[in-house]
Amino acid sequence: MTNDKQHTGGSLLFDVMQQHGVTDIFGYPGGAIMPIYDALYDSDVNHFLCRHEQGAAFSAVGYARASGKVGVCLATSGPGATNLITGLADALADSIPVVAITGQVPTVAMGSDAFQEIDIFGLSLACTKHSFQVTNINELEKVLHQAFAIALEGRQGPVLVDIPKDVQLAHVESTHPKVTRLKNKVNLPPANVGSAIAMLSKAKKPVIYVGGGVGMANAVDELRAFIETTNMPSVSTLKGLGAIDPDHEHYLGMLGMHGTKAANLAVQQCDLLIAVGARFDDRVTGKLAKFAPHAKVIHFDIDTAEIDKRRKADAAILGDLKVNLPALAIPLAIKEWQQHCQQMKNDFAWRYDHPGDAIFAPAVLKEISEKMPKNTCVTTDVGQHQMWSAQHMAFNDPSNFLSSGGMGTMGFGLPAAIGAQVSRPHDCIIAVSGDGSLMMNVQELSTIKRFQLPVKIVLIDNAKLGMVRQWQDLFFNGRLSETDLSDNPDFLMLAQAFDIKAKQVHHKDQVSAAIDEMFNHDGAYLLHVKIDAKENVWPLVPPETANDKMMENS
Amino acid sequence: MNHYQLIIHVDDKQVVLERILQVTRYRGFLINGIEAKVNTGTHIGTIKLQISSDRPIELLIDQINKLIDIKDVSVDNNAVAPT
Repeated sequence: MTNDKQHTGGSLLFDVMQQHGVTDIFGYPGGAIMPIYDALYDSDVNHFLCRHEQGAAFSAVGYARASGKVGVCLATSGPGATNLITGLADALADSIPVVAITGQVPTVAMGSDAFQEIDIFGLSLACTKHSFQVTNINELEKVLHQAFAIALEGRQGPVLVDIPKDVQLAHVESTHPKVTRLKNKVNLPPANVGSAIAMLSKAKKPVIYVGGGVGMANAVDELRAFIETTNMPSVSTLKGLGAIDPDHEHYLGMLGMHGTKAANLAVQQCDLLIAVGARFDDRVTGKLAKFAPHAKVIHFDIDTAEIDKRRKADAAILGDLKVNLPALAIPLAIKEWQQHCQQMKNDFAWRYDHPGDAIFAPAVLKEISEKMPKNTCVTTDVGQHQMWSAQHMAFNDPSNFLSSGGMGTMGFGLPAAIGAQVSRPHDCIIAVSGDGSLMMNVQELSTIKRFQLPVKIVLIDNAKLGMVRQWQDLFFNGRLSETDLSDNPDFLMLAQAFDIKAKQVHHKDQVSAAIDEMFNHDGAYLLHVKIDAKENVWPLVPPETANDKMMENS
Repeated sequence: MNHYQLIIHVDDKQVVLERILQVTRYRGFLINGIEAKVNTGTHIGTIKLQISSDRPIELLIDQINKLIDIKDVSVDNNAVAPT
């Protein structure tokens, strides 16, 4: 497709996509987006038909997170557009670059309560970084370029472009517009490097707290060099997992509500906390007023609005981590503190000596982690299996662990794995899910079948909404309200219905062979792991509690 | 409860006023009054927003500044706070 030909709005969309390097998109057609799907018919862009628009949105998110490229999803007006919303909210919460294209009823019908009309432009305000509605064909090309630019620049995020049907059909010639960056006018204050270095030099007990911003800034190498130079103990958020070398001797694991005891205690005891691309989320801090109570804070971020939002920073360093992190990389004399943290790491190491024949999910996930091929990408859904995956699996890059962090969206894992597999066809992709979560976007098994995607699904099945059940037991007097899922479908038959090989294991001695079989199978595979419904995720910091007051398995 | 008046200059773009109002409400500020007009020559809009909240005003300014079509945000220190 050439740039100077006469276009329809629909064909122009694919022309612009190709200029931005888009090769794969996820979507679902319908009435008000038919001209775009008609143009797709002649396009070189690969379209992956999902079976629900929410699946398309999550696949676009998974694609973006696994590849570092913009994810693209399409939906029609009305219910198609509203079905994208949860995926866009997820992308906003986790700062994922996604461009969503929605069809809209023709401009003459807009505002008349037309069939399948919804004000998706209005709905988008709370769940996108920015959004557009294009009512003039002459604006379309410029807007589409801006959408891709905004999704990627600064703190990344989702952008929605709503295009009425008549604009999709209208004819226009490409004008190759000079794209004006619609960047907001935030002027980053000068980095407070001198003050930060002074604090770092004086610190006796520093900890670096790493968030998802490191991966998004493509600053994993700079972070690891910083850690090598300073040799300070390090902890990670859920979204930061993979940024720190999991084998580094002073890495203490994930912090927060289900963090390791060593990570949480180190943060509570430290005298300097260096937050890097992290936002002091409530799942990280526990009771905010008691979080890291003795620490001064140095906060690195790209987003001015994150500074002082939840925790006052003693020094703020705004801007590109790739540039700013090396400026603070100085050797430190903190041997006593290192040894103390090392001792806690050893004293509170995970134990896998679980009694009885029943399968212990943490041990299964640890074995999968040890056996999975290099550069495997793991997605999760949300719940107990998610926290066990974060605790017991090891990742060597943030793009190899995709989990819904900010929004905590059940139904994320399977479609995100589809997107990841499309973006990285030669890598092993594993979706770790729970029986509650899997059923939330189970229709996407059909997408796996249609495109013969070799996604491995590890289903941790306790026939419960396990995390909610755990909280009901611990904090609601064991009143198990609506968390029983004992009427789940037969998951083996379900997998077979989509031509997916499957195996169920319910005893410890079956696990290793089944994991080997899963990895040796060329195509998609569902490993159905039955576990005891009473298993809990430990440790647990109860709500509104300081992170050193964690509950542990007794 | 602290009262403020924000003066916000914006590009005259789609739904910019809605975006500002949505962010203001979501971030925990009560909207007590609003004036908005556009200079048709420069296509720059000026919005005066009277708001109140117990939260620090800097948090809202940072969030409004992140919106794409915002030119600048400032607190009008001369505005009289409601009694």
